Amino acid sequence: MNKKRALGVLAAAAVAASLAACSGSGFGGGDSTQNSTAPLNILIGSSGDAETKAVESAVKAWSDKSGIEATVTVASDLNQQLAQGFSSGNPPDVFYMSADQFSGYAANGSLLAYGDDLANKDDFYPSLVSSFTFDGKFYCAPKDFSTLQLIINTDLWTAAGLTDADIPKTWDDLTAVATKLTSGTTTGLVIGGEYARVGAFMTQAGGNLMNDDSTQATADTPENLAALDYVKANLTSGVFKYAADVGAGWGGEAFGKQLGAMTIEGNWITGAMTNDYPDVKYKVAELPEGPAGKGTLAFTNCWGVAADSGNTEGALDLVAQLTSTDDQLAFSKAFGVMPSIQSAADQWTSENPALEPFLLGAAYAKGVPTAQGAADVVSDFNSQVAQLKTGDPKAILTSTQANLEALLK
Amino acid sequence: MTVQTITAEAVADAPRGQPDRRMRGERPTGPLLPRILIFVVLIVIAIIYIYPFIIDVSTSFKSESEAANNPLGIIPQIWTTAAYERLFFSSDFPTWFFNSAVVTLTVTAGRVFFDSLAGYALARLQFRGRSLIFAGLIAVMAVPSVVLLIPKFLVINQIGIYNSYTGLIVPLLADAAGVFIMKNFFESIPVSIEEQARVDGAGTFRIFWSVVLPMARPALITIIILSFQGSWNELAHFIIAAQDPGLTTLTKGVAQLSSGQLSQGSQFPLKLAAGAIMTIPVAIVFFVFQRRILNASAGAVKE
Amino acid sequence: MTATAVPRRKRSALRRGQAISGWLFTAPILVILGLFLLVPVLMAAWVSVSDWSGRGSPLSPNVNFVGGENYAELLAGGGLAERDFGMSLKNNLWYVLLVVPIQTAVALSLALLVNRKFLRGRGFFRTAYYFPSVTSSVAITVLWLFLFSTTGAVNQLLSYIGITGPNWFNDPSGIFHFGIEQGPPLLTDNTALGVSWWDWIGGPSVAMSAFIIMAVFTTSGTFMLLFLAGLQHLSEDVEEAAMVDGANPWQRFWRVTLPQLRATLFTVITLGLIGAWQVFDQIYTGTRGNPAKTTLTPAYLSYSSAFINQEWAQGAAIAFILFAIIIAFTIFQRWVLRERAVSKRRMRWLNVKTPKARSSR
Repeated sequence: MNKKRALGVLAAAAVAASLAACSGSGFGGGDSTQNSTAPLNILIGSSGDAETKAVESAVKAWSDKSGIEATVTVASDLNQQLAQGFSSGNPPDVFYMSADQFSGYAANGSLLAYGDDLANKDDFYPSLVSSFTFDGKFYCAPKDFSTLQLIINTDLWTAAGLTDADIPKTWDDLTAVATKLTSGTTTGLVIGGEYARVGAFMTQAGGNLMNDDSTQATADTPENLAALDYVKANLTSGVFKYAADVGAGWGGEAFGKQLGAMTIEGNWITGAMTNDYPDVKYKVAELPEGPAGKGTLAFTNCWGVAADSGNTEGALDLVAQLTSTDDQLAFSKAFGVMPSIQSAADQWTSENPALEPFLLGAAYAKGVPTAQGAADVVSDFNSQVAQLKTGDPKAILTSTQANLEALLK
Repeated sequence: MTVQTITAEAVADAPRGQPDRRMRGERPTGPLLPRILIFVVLIVIAIIYIYPFIIDVSTSFKSESEAANNPLGIIPQIWTTAAYERLFFSSDFPTWFFNSAVVTLTVTAGRVFFDSLAGYALARLQFRGRSLIFAGLIAVMAVPSVVLLIPKFLVINQIGIYNSYTGLIVPLLADAAGVFIMKNFFESIPVSIEEQARVDGAGTFRIFWSVVLPMARPALITIIILSFQGSWNELAHFIIAAQDPGLTTLTKGVAQLSSGQLSQGSQFPLKLAAGAIMTIPVAIVFFVFQRRILNASAGAVKE
Repeated sequence: MTATAVPRRKRSALRRGQAISGWLFTAPILVILGLFLLVPVLMAAWVSVSDWSGRGSPLSPNVNFVGGENYAELLAGGGLAERDFGMSLKNNLWYVLLVVPIQTAVALSLALLVNRKFLRGRGFFRTAYYFPSVTSSVAITVLWLFLFSTTGAVNQLLSYIGITGPNWFNDPSGIFHFGIEQGPPLLTDNTALGVSWWDWIGGPSVAMSAFIIMAVFTTSGTFMLLFLAGLQHLSEDVEEAAMVDGANPWQRFWRVTLPQLRATLFTVITLGLIGAWQVFDQIYTGTRGNPAKTTLTPAYLSYSSAFINQEWAQGAAIAFILFAIIIAFTIFQRWVLRERAVSKRRMRWLNVKTPKARSSR
């Protein structure tokens, strides 16, 4: 029996070897042959119907003008589909690339570094450009950005006897206001229990998980500790709650269902409120200042182009179109994001006066860590911060520091 | 799927001829109270097992707020088909259903054919290497499917069937357990029938196809049931075999729906409606064939 | 009809024909199994000892052999990879330790209850208990997420008897911690595989417990059928003899029925073990490892390392370690359940007449 097993294994090895022989050509190198009329595949991670429609119509307009066929696909799990696409040798041509996944793909050569060739490359906000620079090369064009600010339910606000003068300017103000707004099933402030929300407090205290160009791990600092202590104290007293604890999927849902009178969210909340909770009236206010002043987080994605794309020329033309002022302002109108080019700032503000606090945040916003592998560390941080109410902030920061340092070795 | 297969085999092998007191005309003796107690216990347990599905269906007809406020109620205060409308008109659910149906039917037909072929060969045909194949099948059945998740993806890529119906269907035809079921069954068919056919001049395939296979109906039905259930309920393979949204099957689609695809809220009526609909085909197959699946003592005990 | 009547030449031609048919008939299955079961295992083995980063073919010349580096990273690396792996092992270990015995016991109890001859409506009960097993794990998980949500059916039921149910799928506290939030320093400071001893003994989290209940719900029906089939094989005479010898029902069950079900028990436990160590569908559909990574399992970690974080080699390594664990558990339980000769002293204690004594009556 053993001999026969060995025979079987040998046969399998032979099969594997022959697969190896014929595999070398099938990957990577094969389809760099460029065809400037080849159809393009665009993969996006949409925040809802509004965004999908906006992107589809912009792409269609370009497609009609250029004569190149282009299809937009909405990913149900963008990271997974990108990873699968790249490893199967079949990636989309143009896709959303988030700042925290960017370095991994840049490092293994999946992305085309086209940023330096863009006509409008000096028009992008510098902080956004640095988010998408790897190894000194500017890889991809930021498509838009959002910042976090405070969203307030105006009806509940006035019902609690508060006025515009009460909009919180400091952390203590925020606690006081949240206390007043907490009653019945409504909690003063309901936010997502993750770095992408709690991190705003960390920046207000003067800290962040990493420094601005993600070359140093700065998780274990007194500033971050102050921020986490502040959030923990309010979670314990019950005036802050996490969305998951009230049965909501994200802060916006809790806000829309009036389980929270305030929330901290970014520009995307405008689309969700219009579509899903149109009866809730809200206003956007700047987040309060922490011990170190104003602070918030900025989120951005870029238009990634696959290095193996069969039609790089078409892809770059499409990206140039999609980052132009007109297209970016159209996207803003549809789902509230802010244009990534500075020249469009004034027009955006005049078109969206109620959303001005978001743009004001651009001046003092910090970005998410972009070191390779940081996304994994951040999700570990998230799983710990989700239990902040019963957890130990110092321990959370210490372990995150260790994890981040391990990335930089 | 090995679990279901082994169950099917065991159930099929259970003796049918057990004489039973009742058959012999005797009354079951023994005190009444324990029997009533046991009956009540069984009823309560049965309710526990069935009630969740009733909740599933009834919640799919509730509004979201009612689903949150009145989770145990079976009759919705306000009947609404909003969840179903959203499911059928604002999502890719019909595509998912179609894909699942295509894959399941093809895989079932394929498995029935290939498993019976191989099972017959192992049972009846004498050829060198037969025991090697047999040993290989056993070895292969021992590999847990989780080990195959990543590498199957790599292989599917390498041979170029990624992102296609072929990639969804062909790997699922790999079914060592089914071969065993067919082999065991064919071994139980008297050899004389085949000998007769051979004397009459029939070739091997002819014997297999026209003589033996029609007699294998019970085993074939078992394979059909198992393949249908297995491929309809399969998830991991569909995750790795394709990324084109047009190739999403029910399991993958509902799983992604559950992690919040159609906007980020927790839309329970919608998700439960999806779950209910995807359970219907397997439930139908189950009820149609349930006597075969469950009936271990077909001839002996009257129900 | 005997074969000897067939002339020799015809017989060898017959043999050849059979050989060709034999290979032809088994060819499709062999090709498919080889391609999609055998080759993947070999390829995964290679990837797990290489540094393939996800782009291009893993068999290309750019990919290097790195030996046990990936395995070392997982088992002793000291970083996030080891901690995640340790967490997933801890979660799945408790899951196995709770699910397998409970589902075996429940399945056996149900089988014994349903097997009563006086029972009417037996078919109905069998159908009811087996039905959850035919449904897809995706559908059941979605249903479970609803039933066990904060405002779900289970919590409402609990409130009827005065208990405030936890926020099931969001509660990461270990059930064997009994609400104690901080463990003793001895246990919290020392770790194995990156997870503190306090966490190791804490048992599954509340969220994982919901999954454990779900597993028992969906698999007890299948195993009940196996036990029923096994019970049908038992002859009544042995049971009657035990009754005559004066054994009460409890003794009859443990000393007479159960040992005879040894084979079925072995099957059920083996299948239960193999299934419980591969929890993936429910995690992918439901919690994806949350809360606080307490529903992370090695199978899901293998998938997410590879497909989401692009750590293909690590994912493959996790899969093989899991393979080894499953085999180890299976061998162990086979050893535990092996047939052992009953010692004479035990037989006397059981008051079982030895064959010699019986024949001398």
